[in-house]
Amino acid sequence: MNSGLGEFTFKVPGGKLVRATVKFKEKIENAKITGDFFLYPEEAIKDIECCLEFCTPLESEAELATRIAKALAMTRAELHGVSTQDIARAVKGAIQNAK
Amino acid sequence: MALDEACLEGISSGNSPPTIRFYRWQPSAVSIGYFQSLDAEVNLEECGKRGIEFVRRQTGGGAVYHDFEGEITYSILAPENFFPKGITESYREICGMIVSGFGKLGLKAEFKPINDIIVSGKKISGNAQTRRKGVLLQHGTILYGLGLETMFSVLRISQEKISDKMIQSAKERVTCVQEQCDSSYGECLEAIQSAFLEGKNHSFGSWSKDELSRANELAEKKYSAREWNFLR
Repeated sequence: MNSGLGEFTFKVPGGKLVRATVKFKEKIENAKITGDFFLYPEEAIKDIECCLEFCTPLESEAELATRIAKALAMTRAELHGVSTQDIARAVKGAIQNAK
Repeated sequence: MALDEACLEGISSGNSPPTIRFYRWQPSAVSIGYFQSLDAEVNLEECGKRGIEFVRRQTGGGAVYHDFEGEITYSILAPENFFPKGITESYREICGMIVSGFGKLGLKAEFKPINDIIVSGKKISGNAQTRRKGVLLQHGTILYGLGLETMFSVLRISQEKISDKMIQSAKERVTCVQEQCDSSYGECLEAIQSAFLEGKNHSFGSWSKDELSRANELAEKKYSAREWNFLR
């Protein structure tokens, strides 16, 4: 799949819900991460979404998780209820679900 | 929400004291967490039909139906250094006040990380926290009564239609003060309030002119605005 728009949602066991909505062609053009998790500071959500842009859809969950972790480290942001791996899983799932 | 933000700004600038407030939502309303999608979480058409308003919070967490009859809502705002530095520890400390309040009603409640309080294994209080401009704001709900039918009509909790099975499932996960004891709404409020104030020098007061003016501005320009509520 070379392009598309996809969404994936899941509830982390014992945690919160995360949803990724991803639009991509050769690269991720737009990623929106929503859910009932907590992130401090809240504005760091933009850092997560920005770091995903320009990733290729072929990157693994682990690679995506590393990118997200680096983005959060820049502002020492803290995620609660979901992890960087959970967000990466949602992004990958959205790409795989794309139409 | 506007009052919370105006108070936060006031505390940050040194013009407002640390504040604890208790309130109820009139009309009943839905609030969603900062990171949620309004369209995904709320049936806006049903809200319109029922005269139920909606607003995005500054804090994370989930979508909440705030029933006028069934809920006590609180906010606590103070400089960050009044609380533990760690997020979980600060939730534990503030939720501990609510646990203590339930204890005054004879209920054995416990804090369940990240942000819930449970009685008999069921959720009776949800809480959400943000830290901005050196001030910690935590607000949350104390469920006095459950209005599940209305809640399911305005919140997109599931893709299934409302069913007895779904309501029964929710009843297994959520409880309220009315289910647990005979306390009145006023007695519940007094118990929670008393627990929050224990050990604290305090005075009962009202909003300052500046706080009200700023809150009115925020209510009009931010919390009523499509740009904010449909942010994500």
